Amino acid sequence: MLEIRNVTKNFGGIQAIGDLSIDLNEGEIVAVIGPNGAGKTTLFNLITGVYRPDSGEVRFEGRSLVGLSPNRIVERGVARTFQNLRLFTNLSVLDNVLIPQHHRLRAIWPSAVLRTRGYRRKEMAMHDLALEKLSFFGPRLMSFRLYQPVSVLSYANRRRAEIARAMATGARLLLLDEPSAGMNPKETAEITQIIRRMRDEGGYTILLVEHKMNLVGEISDRVVVLDYGRKIAEGAYQDVVNDPKVVEAYLGRRAEEGTSGGKPDGAGGEA
Amino acid sequence: MLGENRLRNALLTLAGLAVLAAFMFLVDRLAAADDPIRGIVKFRGALTLFAIWGVAAVSLNLINGTLGILSLGHHGFMLIGGYTTGLLILSEQARSRILLSARSQMTEGTLGLSVSNGLSALGLDFLTTPETLWVRFLIAVLLGGFAAAFAGMLVGIPSLRLRGDYLAIVTFGFGEIIRLSASTRLFSPLTNGALGFPGLPQEFGKGALWTFGFLVLTVFVLARLKYSSYGRAMEGIREDEVAAEAMGINLAYHKVLGFVFSAFFAGIAGGLWVSWLGGVRLDFFLFQLTFFFLVALSAGGTGSITGVLLGTALVVFIRQYGDPLEQSYSVATWLLILAVALFIAAAGLFVYRLTRRLRPRVHAGIFVFVGVGLLALVISLVDPGFIAGAFRGFGMRAIFLSVLLVVIMVFRPEGVTGRAEFSWAWLFRERRDRPTDEERAQDAWLTNPDLTRRLEVAGGKAEAGTGEGADGDA
Repeated sequence: MLEIRNVTKNFGGIQAIGDLSIDLNEGEIVAVIGPNGAGKTTLFNLITGVYRPDSGEVRFEGRSLVGLSPNRIVERGVARTFQNLRLFTNLSVLDNVLIPQHHRLRAIWPSAVLRTRGYRRKEMAMHDLALEKLSFFGPRLMSFRLYQPVSVLSYANRRRAEIARAMATGARLLLLDEPSAGMNPKETAEITQIIRRMRDEGGYTILLVEHKMNLVGEISDRVVVLDYGRKIAEGAYQDVVNDPKVVEAYLGRRAEEGTSGGKPDGAGGEA
Repeated sequence: MLGENRLRNALLTLAGLAVLAAFMFLVDRLAAADDPIRGIVKFRGALTLFAIWGVAAVSLNLINGTLGILSLGHHGFMLIGGYTTGLLILSEQARSRILLSARSQMTEGTLGLSVSNGLSALGLDFLTTPETLWVRFLIAVLLGGFAAAFAGMLVGIPSLRLRGDYLAIVTFGFGEIIRLSASTRLFSPLTNGALGFPGLPQEFGKGALWTFGFLVLTVFVLARLKYSSYGRAMEGIREDEVAAEAMGINLAYHKVLGFVFSAFFAGIAGGLWVSWLGGVRLDFFLFQLTFFFLVALSAGGTGSITGVLLGTALVVFIRQYGDPLEQSYSVATWLLILAVALFIAAAGLFVYRLTRRLRPRVHAGIFVFVGVGLLALVISLVDPGFIAGAFRGFGMRAIFLSVLLVVIMVFRPEGVTGRAEFSWAWLFRERRDRPTDEERAQDAWLTNPDLTRRLEVAGGKAEAGTGEGADGDA
C-alpha cells in the first residue's frame, strides 16, 4: 500500500533520514521505534508532505506522493496525528471531527450559504460520520462532550479526539504519532484495543510511532527500528527487541556505558 | 439534534426583524417629516453610520476573526466600492459641473460611466427616471462590491505565502497603495484626483431602512458562511494552519475566499459610506477608518459577529454623541468630572476584587482613587475660582474611547462577548455542552470504573487506586 524507497532527508549537515525503505501492506499495523532524534517524526513529515525528501520515492497505492501539498496527500488517503497535539483548540469536539471532512464536501460555497437541500443532506452525512468515528472511543466523547471546546478536555480525551479527527478525513492509511503519550496504563491498554479495532473494524492500515513497548509488542505486526535516520532492524517484535543492534541503539555498548541515554526496552510507562 | 426548536427560533428571528424594520421605518418617517422632532435627524445619522460601519466591521471580522489573519487594508476595499458607487450614480448636473470646472481631471469618457447610461444602452430606459434611482443605486453598490471583491482576490494571493505580522504589513501596504494610486494621473480620470466628486444622493446612506437592510443582509450571509462547512474550515485555519492543512483543508482557496467575501461587503459598505457623506473624496478613506473597525473588533470580541456589532455601536455612538465631551467648560467643572470618574474607577475596582475574591478587598489603589477624587471634588465645590479659566477638551472623545478600550482589554482581553455569538438557544439557556446528572454519572464511571465501584462498596481500600484517575471530569 505504502512504499518508501531509499528516502533521504538532510537538514543542513545533519542527515535526519538516510536511505530509508519501508513497505506497508494493506491491513497491517507497523510500529516505528527508535531513540529520541532517530527521525521517526521526520519520517511522518516526509510521508505527509510537510517536508519534501531530498531523494527517493514515496508511493501510496502506486502513485507518488512526493511534491504534493499536505492537503492533496490527505485527499489521496493518508492522514496523520501529531505528537504534540494540534487540535483546533477553541472549537468543539464535533467541529474538530467535521473539519477534516470538508475536503470531501462536494458542494460549492453558494450552496453552503444558501443552505440548499443538497448541502443540508451532505452536512447531515458529515455529522453521522463524525459520530461514527467518535464512537470508536465509546461514549466518552459523545453526548455533551461533543459541544465542549477541545480546550476543556483531558489530555487522554484530546488524544482520542485527534485520532477520531484523522479517521474522519476518510484516509485509508493512518500515521499515528505516539497515540498513547500522556495516558496512564489503563488508558494505554484501552487505546491498544482501539487501534486494533480500527484495523479490524475500520479497515485502516496503521503506521505508528510509539515509545511504550508493551503497546508496540501487543499490536504491531511488524516493527521497524530507526537510529540516526537509518533502519537498523525490521521484523516481528520479539526478534527486533532481542537484536543486539537495537539494544545497542537504546542502551549503548558496554564499553561506553552511560554515555548514551535512552529507555530500556520493555519499560512500560512514560511520563 | 439539529432541528430542536428550529421553528421557534425562525419565528423569533422573523419577529425580531419585523420589529427592527418597523422601528427603522418609523425613524425614517420621523426624520423626513417637515418639522422633525429635535434630535431625530442626528439619531438617524448615528443609526445609519452604525449600520454602515457595522457592514464593514462584520466583513473585516471574517478575515480577522474567522480566518485569523490580521488585515489592515479594509479602507482600501471600501475606497474601491465607494468610488465605483459614487462614479456610477453621480447625477447629470454634478457631471456637467465637473466637466465645466477648470480643475477637473475627468474626461468626457469617464464622466459618461454611469448606471443610467448603461441601462439606456441596454434599452431599459424606464429605469433611468428619478423615481427609480434606488434601482440604479442598488446596481452601483453591487458593482462596487464586485470591484472590491476583485481587489480582495489580488490582496488574498500574497497572503498565501506570508503569515502573522508580515501579512498584516502587506495588507496595510495594499490598503495604502489603493488609496494613493486613486490620486495618481493614471486613475484621476476616474476619481477626479484629490478633488473627488460631491453631490451624491444621500437618501440611501442616510436611510435607516436602507442601511439596516444591507446590514441584515451582510450578517445573514456571513453568519451562514461562518456556520457552514466553509466557515468551519476557515476557523480551522485560524486555530492551527498546519493541522488544517494536514486535515485536507486547501489553505490557498479558503484564504482567498475569505478575502473575496470580506472585500465584497467592504465594497458595499464603501458605497453606503459615500452616500452617507454625500460625496467622494480621498480623505474619507484614511487608515483611521480601518483603525475604528479594529477597535470595534477588539472591544466587542474578535470572531463574534454579535461582539463586533456591539463594538461598532460603542465606537459610533461615542463618536456621534460624544461632542459634549469636547466643549469648553470651566476648570472647576473638569475637576468635578475627574472626581466622578475616579469614584467610578474606585467602585469598579472594589466590585472587581469582590467578584474575583481577591484579598485585601479594599486595595490601596482604591484609597488613591478616592483620595484624589475627594481632593478634586473639594476644590471644585468649595473654591471654584481656585484655578481660573476654562478648558476645551479637544479630542476628549478619542481619549474616552481609548480609556474604555484599555479598561476592556485589561479586564476582558477577548472583548465583551469573546468568540460567543448571540443565539436564541443562548437566550433561553439551552446549553448542549453541560451534562445531565445521568450523563455525568456515566462519565465518572467511564473515567474510572474501578474507583466508582469501590466507592459504591463504601471504600475500604480506596487509597490504593486513586492515582489512576488522571482522566478527570473537566
